[in-house]
Amino acid sequence: MAEQQLDIAANRRVSGRVACSLAVVLGVLIMNAAPAAQQKVLTVGAATFPSSLQTGVASFTSESLILQTYDPLVMRDNEGNFIPALAESWEAKGDTVWRFHLRKGVKWHDGREFTAEDVKFTIDRVIDPQTAYGYLGRIGQVSGATVVDPYTVDISTKAVFPILSKGLADIAIEAKHYYDEVGVEVPKRKPMGTGPFIAVNWIPGDRYELTANKNYWRGAPKVDKLVIRQIPEAATRVAALISGEVQIIEEVPVDVIAEIESSKRAKVISIPTSAAMVLTYDTRRPPFDNPKVREALDYAIDKDTILNEILKGKGEILQGQLLTARTFGHNPNIKARPFDPVKAKRLLKEANFDFSRPVVIMTQSGKYVSDVDISNAVAGMLRNVDIQANVSVVESAVYLKQWSALEMGPIYMVGWYSLNDADFATIWYTEAAKRSVWKNAEYEKLFVEARSTNDQAARDKAYQRMMEIMHAENPSMFLFGIPSVYAASNKVKNFGAAADKILRLDAVSID
Amino acid sequence: MFKFALRRLVYIPVSLLFVSAVLFAVLRLTGNPIDTYLDINRTDEQVAALTKRLHLDQSLPVQFLIYLKDVLSGDFGQSLQFGEPAINVVLERAGASIQLVTAALVIAVIAGVLAGMACAVFKDKLPDFLISTLAVAAQSMPSFWLGILLIQCFAVQLRWLPTSGRGGWENLVLPAFTLAAYLLPNIILITRTSMLETLREQFVVTANAKGLSGSQVLFRHALPNALNPIISFIGLQIGRLMGGAIITETIFAWPGIGRLMIGSIFQRDVPVVIAGVLIVSVIIVVANLAVDILLSINDPRIRLD
Repeated sequence: MAEQQLDIAANRRVSGRVACSLAVVLGVLIMNAAPAAQQKVLTVGAATFPSSLQTGVASFTSESLILQTYDPLVMRDNEGNFIPALAESWEAKGDTVWRFHLRKGVKWHDGREFTAEDVKFTIDRVIDPQTAYGYLGRIGQVSGATVVDPYTVDISTKAVFPILSKGLADIAIEAKHYYDEVGVEVPKRKPMGTGPFIAVNWIPGDRYELTANKNYWRGAPKVDKLVIRQIPEAATRVAALISGEVQIIEEVPVDVIAEIESSKRAKVISIPTSAAMVLTYDTRRPPFDNPKVREALDYAIDKDTILNEILKGKGEILQGQLLTARTFGHNPNIKARPFDPVKAKRLLKEANFDFSRPVVIMTQSGKYVSDVDISNAVAGMLRNVDIQANVSVVESAVYLKQWSALEMGPIYMVGWYSLNDADFATIWYTEAAKRSVWKNAEYEKLFVEARSTNDQAARDKAYQRMMEIMHAENPSMFLFGIPSVYAASNKVKNFGAAADKILRLDAVSID
Repeated sequence: MFKFALRRLVYIPVSLLFVSAVLFAVLRLTGNPIDTYLDINRTDEQVAALTKRLHLDQSLPVQFLIYLKDVLSGDFGQSLQFGEPAINVVLERAGASIQLVTAALVIAVIAGVLAGMACAVFKDKLPDFLISTLAVAAQSMPSFWLGILLIQCFAVQLRWLPTSGRGGWENLVLPAFTLAAYLLPNIILITRTSMLETLREQFVVTANAKGLSGSQVLFRHALPNALNPIISFIGLQIGRLMGGAIITETIFAWPGIGRLMIGSIFQRDVPVVIAGVLIVSVIIVVANLAVDILLSINDPRIRLD
């Protein structure tokens, strides 16, 4: 009897255990039976992050994130060509008014319609001094906007402004009704636009999480979610790419290109940008007040070697002028001066150059690709022609302070972006820009002519002449067109390196 | 104890006043916010607006007094970079830093104390020699190099752990180890020395004679008596850890205060720098207070007054 009871108890224990196990197995099966549809998540490793998602901050890191959720009226593509975006077409109505015809059926992320009211609101906001809009300079000549009908808006300018449409590529169009609802502070953390991705979560210094805008006017993005993470240390960025944690990384230092290529899991993609890295002289003071001296230094630098050894062949050598080869206004007839240290020394002696005088090259660190390395190489090459050159690396706040006072020492390194129109870069050598100590009356005259007409052929001619002047006078040593270097996992398709450093991801897909 | 704690907390505003005055002067004198915050294309109106907002037209002492007045009413000002109240910006990142520093401390203390005890117990034998050598080696390793090495090994080659970023506990492992490696050698050596002294004491001989097991003697009798210098040392290190995790934070993309402070200094974002210094000061004073209380708990002979 007792044994039977024991058996029954044992049986109960066994069946109890079997029942439990079955329940667990069933539970697991049920949970896995309807798996969530595989979400495609694209993760990007960025080097620097902006401080907030405020529109109009004049930096490419900020603009890159802004353009994930916003569109401009006119946009650039990865190569720098301008194509219609929220504006389908535009024409000049007289000298100071441009009429923009807007795309119909575009919706904001909250579902409301995009109309001309939003364009007017944005333009008014940009030109209002209270906004302190960083990119105001891109459309500096604009005086206002008028709504003609819900899909037509007139933008008026103070004077003839031929590059209005190009400048608009950096102006993100914002929603009037959103600002009315939430005020000016909320959009800095919670952007709401018409762009390919919708902001979900922004953690400053860490990551930006977005989801695809299925109603995007160019077609829904090919991935479901986008995460942009800040990984400031380049070695870690590369590690994250190779280990598969991120699929795309920005700002790849040229010395790790070989490592990425040899990993066989990712490839390096680069494109020349329109940014020109130059060494600018203080032409007010000896020795660089003498144009012969400045010309002599141009012969002392072996630009091919620097391009191949330091930039690993990425980027381009500036052909004796400020503008890169693809920029509108570039003069194809000018070529960079050849490397000829003998000639350099001779020209310096003829100009009575004082070889005992130290020459300091001021540069920031990490602001431009390989800036310190290139500065050191240049200083070394100048020492080879007996100039007492050395490099002073300064922190950005100090650099900016000196720059405001125009006290940069005899030579300093700087980069000018032209964004495919000569106006944007050449302006910095005019008096009005307050950044140049070099003055040339003909250059100024041509600059004003070029921006006062809508005739592109006339503008081109003016800029080419300006490049000739610069080549003869050498206010700066024109070094390199800086490359923009990215790397992407082999699983990523349709990703292109951007000449303007903006991430364009709506057509990118992952296998 | 309460009065003791209160008196300690009074140190915070006093030191903060002094430190913030120095910081304010240095940051303003070496960089102009107009240059760092307004685009090169800036208009005169933008310059005028910013000058008015930041009182840049006043003399430096007046600017500081205005700033102080706001601070006393709890307003640390708007961060110039982030456009938000500076104190919010710092508090957001503080959690991440505290998490990292705590994890590093836990690892360093547990591993360090155990290793140090092993050294003391096996003095001049193989374990002592091995651990001491490793400790010296770890001390000579720059955290930059160690961090990248750990990433290459555990994240890229072995794929056991993520490379960077803040997330679950897996994300904490490598950065915490890298930061702990900075503390570990000292903790090992201090523990070793302290334990050796303690093990020579009479009461240890008595405990052994009583027939207590080795581990009982070590952990229940010797260790608590050896802990004083170790606890004091840790208290001193907390301040360095909080501020010095900058390299680890950068390598592992950890969104902590260190990186924020460095970035803000470069940008001359005075409100954030001073708010950051305040938060770190508070943490250091509170941590030191906790350490002192811990000391007095561990050793009833120490009276707080």
